[in-house]
Amino acid sequence: MNDATMNDGDTIEALRARLEATRGRQYWRSLESLAETPEFKEFLHREFPQNASEWLDPVGRRSFLKLMGASLALAGVSACTRQPDEQIVPYVRQPEEEVPGKPLFFATAMPMNGAGIGLLVESHEGRPTKIEGNPDHPSSRGATDLFAQASILGLYDPDRSRNITNLGDIRPFSAFATALQDALKVQETSQGAGIRILTETVASPTQRAASSRLASTSTRNMRSTRPT
Amino acid sequence: MPQIFRRSANTLSKVSIFGLLSLVGGLIVLAIVLARSSYVTRQEIFVEQPLQFSHMHHVTDDGIDCRYCHTSVETSSFAGIPPTKTCMNCHAVLFANASFLEPVRASFRDNKPLHWTRVHDLPDFVYFNHSIHIKKGVGCETCHGRVDQMPLIYQQHSLLMEWCIDCHKNPAPNLRPRSEITTMGYRPAVDQSILGPQLMTEYNVNPPISCSTCHR
Ligand code: HEC
Ligand code: HEC
Ligand code: HEC
Ligand code: HEC
Ligand code: HEC
Repeated sequence: MNDATMNDGDTIEALRARLEATRGRQYWRSLESLAETPEFKEFLHREFPQNASEWLDPVGRRSFLKLMGASLALAGVSACTRQPDEQIVPYVRQPEEEVPGKPLFFATAMPMNGAGIGLLVESHEGRPTKIEGNPDHPSSRGATDLFAQASILGLYDPDRSRNITNLGDIRPFSAFATALQDALKVQETSQGAGIRILTETVASPTQRAASSRLASTSTRNMRSTRPT
Repeated sequence: MPQIFRRSANTLSKVSIFGLLSLVGGLIVLAIVLARSSYVTRQEIFVEQPLQFSHMHHVTDDGIDCRYCHTSVETSSFAGIPPTKTCMNCHAVLFANASFLEPVRASFRDNKPLHWTRVHDLPDFVYFNHSIHIKKGVGCETCHGRVDQMPLIYQQHSLLMEWCIDCHKNPAPNLRPRSEITTMGYRPAVDQSILGPQLMTEYNVNPPISCSTCHR
């Protein structure tokens, strides 16, 4: 509501002003009649684009309330109903170390201020669920900070890119490989001087090794630039 | 002024009061009966599966131990359903062309898992753990019945809360040596009234009945 009041300040203010001018019985009557005005309908439509028609359709709204009431009243009887069927979907080839129903722990590291924090990630049937410090890692010794704890959520972030994209379109890895090959070929004459790779600060030796391998395979001169 | 209610209204009101009471009572009884019916508990009901897997053939005729397929039963809460690979260990050779095994081969070929429908299904608010029961000497047969005589598997017991509690209160008659856990048609070597209490102390069996054991 707050957002809407700010965005549609004019409309809601105008509607309020109309209400303020009325008192007592008249007030309630005018709420009713206000709901019928085109301005209010218009306002509702902008505020709840999906549900607006439900609200304006008295039958839909009433049956919704009725259903809600009935489901509340019947909630106590739910024990008598049969559960829906559930399925067990085993692996086709079960990973060696996997025991269904038991978590697996993976040792990993997370970059933080230019250093790696040693972590253990708890995973259930392939899904990571909890992050704690790795007791055997010298930098964390089993401890974590709030960033490491919260980083589990990053894995399920809907904004996280799940695919390779090019200009917004999902592409397979092979498309990326050819595009890279082409780019490298163009740069061959200038020995890769025109290529830039945009990354966050790289503290990972593995990633550094990978990019220097990329640089050395076809071009001598490619520089990696850090954003600052 | 004429009477609004006739004499018969007396009877009518009594009948309707008692009628209503017994209707409510009847509904409650019906609800209780229904909750225990095999329709709701799924006791002894067969379930449609992607292919007819016979425990009778594999356990009795072929003598395969339960743990060959239900590998995690001793270590995990979940007993485990075998991956397609386990079936293919034998059926890559045995019945390699049989049509009834096509779902298994298709699963292995296309790397698509088989979808079995659960036969035993506790509500999600109940915590159950196989490994502790196996460690303390409760055999598969005690809870799942004579699986070796089931061409299609079904749920032998109601799995109602009272069924769990009955045993948790008095486990001694249901214990067996750990070496006999997967034995079907097990008969105790000595009388159970002697063996039971003996195993109780040997395995230090003390099943909890506090609510938070199973509802956590
Ligand atoms: C050859 C492999 C194999 C062996 C051996 C085996 N099972 Fe199974 N079991 C399966 C498969 C596959 C399923 C799933 C199919 C089904 O539910 O019909 C299953 C299902 C079950 C289920 C029902 C699971 C559910 O959905 O609730 C129980 C209980 C069970 N097995 C117990 C046993 C016991 C006890 C033994 C030993 C006497 C045993 N099994 C031996 C393969 C096996
Ligand atoms: C240890 C070897 C072995 C494994 C593992 C095995 N089977 Fe079998 N299977 C057999 C044998 C032997 C027969 C023949 C049984 C008979 O007719 O007595 C058979 C028969 C069958 C049959 C047809 C005969 C029938 O009606 O039972 C089906 C279907 C079947 N197996 C499915 C499976 C599935 C599904 C799995 C994996 C969960 C599996 N098998 C795992 C050995 C095995
Ligand atoms: C104390 C009783 C008990 C014993 C003993 C027991 N089970 Fe179960 N089993 C259950 C219950 C209850 C379920 C349903 C679990 C659920 O829905 O979460 C189950 C489910 C299963 C399932 C389906 C998969 C799962 O774990 O949910 C399989 C397979 C199974 N049991 C096999 C076995 C085998 C094999 C043994 C013996 C080694 C065994 N069980 C011993 C009670 C028992
Ligand atoms: C045939 C006997 C038997 C039946 C049936 C049975 N249990 Fe048990 N249960 C035991 C025994 C024995 C133990 C081990 C107690 C101990 O730790 O000494 C146990 C332990 C447990 C534990 C572990 C408690 C702990 O210490 O963490 C849970 C959870 C449990 N049972 C749940 C269930 C549920 C849920 C059911 C019903 C679906 C059930 N049990 C049915 C015998 C049984
Ligand atoms: C040994 C395990 C166990 C213990 C201990 C246990 N329960 Fe349960 N409870 C179950 C199981 C299993 C069910 C599911 C029965 C079913 O299939 O509807 C259940 C279901 C319930 C339900 C739902 C009833 C229904 O019909 O759906 C309630 C309420 C409940 N338990 C309360 C309790 C309370 C209160 C306690 C403590 C006094 C308790 N339970 C202790 C295993 C247990």
